[in-house]
Amino acid sequence: MSNAPSANPNRTSVVLMRRMTKRFRAVTALDRVDFEINPHEIVGLVGENGAGKSTLMKILVGLYHPDAGEFLINGKAISFKDSNDAMRHGIGMVFQDGCMIHNLSILDNVFLGHEEHFIKYGLMDKKRMRDECVKILAKVKVELDPDTLIRNVTSAEKQMVEIARLLWLLRFYGAENPVMILDEPTTVLQEQEVKTLFDTLRELKKSSSIILISHRLEEVIANSDRVVIFKDGKYIAQMPSANADIHQIEELMVGRGMLGNHYIEDKQREPAQRFRLELENVYKRGSFQPLSLSLREGEIISLVGLIGSGKEELCRCILGLAHFDGGRVLVEGKERNFRTPSDAIACGIGHVPIDRRNEGLALDYSVVSNINMLILRQLGRYGLIAPWRERENAGHWVDEIRVKTPSVYVKCGNLSGGNQQKVVIAKWLSSGVKILILDHPTRGIDIGAKEEIYKRIRLLSEAGMSLIIMCDTLEEDIGLGNRLVIMKDGSVTREVECSKEAKPTPRDIIEAIV
Amino acid sequence: MTVQAEEFEGAKRTLAGRLKETPSIYFSIAVLVFFVLLFYWHEPAFLESYNLGIIGLSAAILLTVGIGQCWTIVTGGIDLSVGGLISLVSVIFVLTVGTLGLWAYPFCLLIGACCGYINGLLLTRIKIPSFIATLGTGGIFVSVAYLITPKAVSVPGGSIKLLNVVNGSTFGQKNAILLSLLFFLVFFVIQYFTPIGRNIFYVGSNIKMSWLSGVNIVSTKNVAFTFSGIGAAAAGLILASRQFSGYPTIGAPYILSSIATVVLGGTAMTGGAGGMLNTLIGAVLMSVLQNGMTVTGVDVYLQQSLLGTMIILCVWVSFDRNKVEIVK
Repeated sequence: MSNAPSANPNRTSVVLMRRMTKRFRAVTALDRVDFEINPHEIVGLVGENGAGKSTLMKILVGLYHPDAGEFLINGKAISFKDSNDAMRHGIGMVFQDGCMIHNLSILDNVFLGHEEHFIKYGLMDKKRMRDECVKILAKVKVELDPDTLIRNVTSAEKQMVEIARLLWLLRFYGAENPVMILDEPTTVLQEQEVKTLFDTLRELKKSSSIILISHRLEEVIANSDRVVIFKDGKYIAQMPSANADIHQIEELMVGRGMLGNHYIEDKQREPAQRFRLELENVYKRGSFQPLSLSLREGEIISLVGLIGSGKEELCRCILGLAHFDGGRVLVEGKERNFRTPSDAIACGIGHVPIDRRNEGLALDYSVVSNINMLILRQLGRYGLIAPWRERENAGHWVDEIRVKTPSVYVKCGNLSGGNQQKVVIAKWLSSGVKILILDHPTRGIDIGAKEEIYKRIRLLSEAGMSLIIMCDTLEEDIGLGNRLVIMKDGSVTREVECSKEAKPTPRDIIEAIV
Repeated sequence: MTVQAEEFEGAKRTLAGRLKETPSIYFSIAVLVFFVLLFYWHEPAFLESYNLGIIGLSAAILLTVGIGQCWTIVTGGIDLSVGGLISLVSVIFVLTVGTLGLWAYPFCLLIGACCGYINGLLLTRIKIPSFIATLGTGGIFVSVAYLITPKAVSVPGGSIKLLNVVNGSTFGQKNAILLSLLFFLVFFVIQYFTPIGRNIFYVGSNIKMSWLSGVNIVSTKNVAFTFSGIGAAAAGLILASRQFSGYPTIGAPYILSSIATVVLGGTAMTGGAGGMLNTLIGAVLMSVLQNGMTVTGVDVYLQQSLLGTMIILCVWVSFDRNKVEIVK
């Protein structure tokens, strides 16, 4: 991209992106996306996980560089070096988890990194900073002493302080119409606080533009001027919020229902009668209410729910990473109590984590080392490992799972995402687990590799493996599972049978989730 | 298995990319060869058997303490107590060899193992960072050595013969060197051919993944520190035997030189990479540098700075900056 100014047909837009494309190795995260922000508007951006929202936003604030596409700000083509560069051009983001230093005051946090603008006689002019800070906070209707420590303010106030800080910065750099990106701003807020937030945002809209990313569709429709829908890295549609219909948006988000045999539904088997895993009235305070769940031999359960619904914590407890506060766990009919992951593994429960690069693999080590990791004791005699048996076992699984690698001695860090995922799966299969929890097994891998993972899941279930899966999209959950278990706010709200003849549609399910 | 270009992103075809994929041990070997040739060119007596014996002896001590230190560094920790432990063991050995006879050798190794295990417990159970925990215990070990004897003690005359275990020769080779190679071999086999040795590396490379995969992090780290204690005790035994005496400051230089040995061999301070072979190269390189600079007449005051420069260069090559964004 050149930095030369080019003619802009649409004079009014603050940000204009055309045919933006971003690839990560074999995965296309953004596919020729068009996106536009006008002055004084709130744009709602919706889509499922992995739809490409975050990628686009990261390009907007200079954290990622697009592979192709046009990016114009106020009609000028631009390419950001980093997020500071983006700030100087009036674009900034308030992140989901917040980035403030908890043991410093509001004042210190607001001006963090920009203290040099308040220097008088070589020292900081605290009085001027205070006055400025009070003024900034007033804009977002926060009436707090600037000396309050951040750790003592509520999440809602913290968020407001962050918004105030961002706004001040963008103005400071001379942006006439700053663009603020809010990523899931309401997840941490109470009902009343949400109302306050949106009142403030509407006030701020008079002098800036806001991009609102949220899973709560009602909220987006009620508080934005325009809703933009993404799916699978593509721009799908947009509509004025005034005449947006939530069902229509849901349909656009999850797609046109099932197409053919995408999830190899015809190979879906009926689970056997025998129970592999039974949970009886297990609960964990602050995470989920007492619930019961049973998993049969060869069964695939899709655990569905938003982040914070308790499904992650439930899986962590099953895996021994966290502990149930009460209830009974039976594996193969015997009562068990897991204190550590190795207890769970000893009972035949394995786990393909969502973050395979950090939790599933030793990236610096070879395919052999990773696949054999769990069974080192079985690969030799007299406590010594036989290298040829290591190679044999790894070679067997590489062929079986079809890991594409030039040799078993290649570092896992050099494999593509799909092949890394296969190595993680091979590692668990070789250890002979009977129950496997797959946490977003197809995240960040390309379509071809996804299909292979689907096939593998069917084969595993055919061979009697019991699986609990959590997927990126509802379609995937429905397509793969024998049964959907839907969790919301810490309890199981619904269980839906998903036989291959009568799969529910995402529309039927989504109401129970949101 | 067919490999499509876009499926496999191996080493970049650039020189920089290839260098990055090359294990750091090759750099260490290259540096070692370079310096051996340099010293030999400058002073042919450098490679005479008498001088090689001196290099071998100093390398033997660095190797025994280095192989222990190596695993603590591979797990992402460090053992600063090796110096104190060497001193303590040297004193205890000299005082007990008269009564225990040859049993003093295994007894001292056992003491080393116990002290190392205590270090491990401080790290894994009380959760004190190894840097601080071993700094503390190192001080304690030295202090205990002082309490036992404030000044050097000599091996009783009647026991001198027993020291032939270390001071004698077998097949024309010095026992001290053979013993250090024996220790090296044991550590080498544990590292490459036992589950616990592998686990030390898994934990160092990715501790979270190891835990999720059922590796017992606590016992793995305990084992690493226990073996560090054994290595230090072995070094203490060799030192005391060679000098026929033990004293509370004998080990002090080995705190830093053991770390330097490990690092010069290409074991990364970030953990998870390197190992026994690297440490072997590192020990030889370290003693070649120290000896070579003296043999070729490098100013004594300059020697430290050259050694320091070498360490910085080796870390520069072996340090994996992809793993950590901010270097502390």
